[in-house]
Amino acid sequence: MQLNKYQQEVFDKQRPVIETFDKKTWGWTIFFLLWILLGGYALYLQIAKGHEVTGMRDNVVWGLYIANFIFFIGISYAGAVISGILHILQVEWRKPIIRIAEMITVISTVIGPVFILLCVGRLDRLHHLFLYPRLQSPITWDVFAIGTYFAGSVIFLYLALIKDFAIYRDAKLNIPKWKQKLYKILAIGYRGTHSQKRHIRISTNLMAIMIIPLAIIVHSVLSWIFGMTLRPGWHSTIFGPYFVLAAIYSGTGVLIMAMWVYRKMYKLESYLTDKHFVYLGYIMMVLGAGYGYFTFSEYLTDWFASEKWNSEVIEKLFNPAKYGWWFLFANVAGILLPIFIVAIPKTRTPNLITLASFFMVLALWVKRYLIIVPTLESPLLPMQDTRIEYVKYSATWVEWALTFAGIATFFLFYTLLSKFVTIIPISEFAGKEKATAPVKEKKIDPS
Amino acid sequence: MKQALTVTGIQKNIQLLLISTVLFITLLIPGRLFSQNDSTKTEEPADENETTLIAPAIQFITVQKNDNTIDLRTALTAKFKGSVIKLPWLKVSFLQVTDTQEKELGFVITDKVGKAVFNVKSDSLVTDKEGKIHFKAVFSGNKQMEGAEEEVTIKRARIEITPVKEDSLLTVKVKLVDMGTGTETPVPEIALGIFVKRQFYPLKVGEGTTDASGEATIEIPNKLPGDAKGNITLLAKLDENEIYGNLEAAVVQNWGTPVSDKLHELPRALWSAHPPLWMMITFIILMTTVWGHYLVIIVQLFRLRKEEPDPGSPTVETIS
Repeated sequence: MQLNKYQQEVFDKQRPVIETFDKKTWGWTIFFLLWILLGGYALYLQIAKGHEVTGMRDNVVWGLYIANFIFFIGISYAGAVISGILHILQVEWRKPIIRIAEMITVISTVIGPVFILLCVGRLDRLHHLFLYPRLQSPITWDVFAIGTYFAGSVIFLYLALIKDFAIYRDAKLNIPKWKQKLYKILAIGYRGTHSQKRHIRISTNLMAIMIIPLAIIVHSVLSWIFGMTLRPGWHSTIFGPYFVLAAIYSGTGVLIMAMWVYRKMYKLESYLTDKHFVYLGYIMMVLGAGYGYFTFSEYLTDWFASEKWNSEVIEKLFNPAKYGWWFLFANVAGILLPIFIVAIPKTRTPNLITLASFFMVLALWVKRYLIIVPTLESPLLPMQDTRIEYVKYSATWVEWALTFAGIATFFLFYTLLSKFVTIIPISEFAGKEKATAPVKEKKIDPS
Repeated sequence: MKQALTVTGIQKNIQLLLISTVLFITLLIPGRLFSQNDSTKTEEPADENETTLIAPAIQFITVQKNDNTIDLRTALTAKFKGSVIKLPWLKVSFLQVTDTQEKELGFVITDKVGKAVFNVKSDSLVTDKEGKIHFKAVFSGNKQMEGAEEEVTIKRARIEITPVKEDSLLTVKVKLVDMGTGTETPVPEIALGIFVKRQFYPLKVGEGTTDASGEATIEIPNKLPGDAKGNITLLAKLDENEIYGNLEAAVVQNWGTPVSDKLHELPRALWSAHPPLWMMITFIILMTTVWGHYLVIIVQLFRLRKEEPDPGSPTVETIS
């Protein structure tokens, strides 16, 4: 395959990354594997002794696992919506970041549903979901929606990779034979003919259009698992768009963090420029404002109506002795901090935007926890003679170990995938060299 | 020098302490290991059967019915490790006891909750001089359990039940008669209960005490749920009477509100058998659209693969 000078430049820069598996990478891999091993032991305990090793009981039946599930499905929006929209709008600056986003999508869509499996008490009956699906149950909708979304995300990522696989195949890389063969298989005979380009263009356009409504449906369905119930704090008509917005928001945050890490790790400042951070920062700011609006609207209506059960949940969220501080953190770090960091020109730097993203992502995880636990701790039927641990949820080390194992798996998959494909797409730099030329400036002044 | 001597002294003391400890333990070990029972002491050999056999108990009652039969009802239980257990699948024999003999009426195997019911026609039974009948329920025992038996003595009696409807007032007229002496004698001052048969236990709807003529009139409520035709089964009961035991009389009357026994379609619910049609259609359209597009893309990729030219072919261009 013939590469133009920009493609060659990008490829040469990233070639060592996919050719070698250096000590540093080994170190990280072992570190992640150790966490996964600890999670494996926790899982063994959970299977052997049952869910009594978790903090979940008859009353609070969901905890960390479901918060993690929503969180991971949320960050999967990074690739789906952001890259989908930017592709449709033909935004040129998307090209260096699109693969990072799509990889986040696929990996988090794999990991998210695993937490559902950890939460389910009778895994031996899991196949019943497929053998005897009840279409009137939001859980069934979720199974189909996430399955379809995952398939779509894989296809979307693969379509963007075919041209690059062809480049790796023809580049005579210093890699093992199995890897060369795999590149050849995955390149499916792409040689860059007009007809082949057309097939990819049609397919990518189709997927870019499809992935956006699909992602919206998936997260709406996820929100309906809560919204369709009559529980205080859950039964809300705005939960669908609220969840969708929060998902895109957290996905943007994770994308910014991933960009920052790869920029530092592989010295990709020429490709992942300050401009990308600022533009994504703008997107994050707008989404943050939207998310803040939804949050305010949600809690204001609940508070104003003073319905008995809703008031009980609101009281828990506002009371510093209960969840007050967490709720405050979720709103300050999750809404105000990113908006201020991006809005003030002096703080609009890659480092600070990344820092804001980090706290925002953390805050949104806390927010998911606050959606689940305080509601379940407010049963509609009064509970008599119940032990405190049945009413009050407290996560055990088993749940934390599996949570961190999930995060470690995310990082491990990301590390391994970034050793298999280049983080900056090479083929994307072809054809419109002037428009897609690497941005060299260190800092831009958006004003 | 003095210090060295002191150290040696301490070491010797420790050695002595250790040796004496070991000796003490050594002395104790044989006592532990080889100590014998006092051979002069005589112990009563434990009766194995006494300690191992379970001692069951029979609760035995009779219920005289107005169809001229008597139910002999038993419940076989045993106390085992501090709790009462019900003894299923065991044979309980029923006997009628007279002055001269014990006549076996039959036997029943207890059900899963240890209950056995034997129905006997009262005409075939022999009464004593006082007009009483003596029954005995016997469990013979087995390898694990001792035998058990229980006796009950009752006097023959009958409850007559007659439903009376006056305008909208529903009443039941009940009469209790003693049949022990061969002639029917009204029994006064006895409290009788009126019940309606329900799915599990009878529902008590009224109570009355018999007058000098052995009769009582008891009002019952209107609009009780009945079967599909509106029938309800009224029961008159005398419970645990010292002389007569338990008595029961039943009558079916069309005084209830008809309740269909057919299953009606339930209102829309999560547990409904089928999802609404619109949901099915929406689901199928959505899934077909999305997976259809996936299929189109996969077909495109297959076509792309088919169109692979030779690597050196002039059709090969740049990668974009």
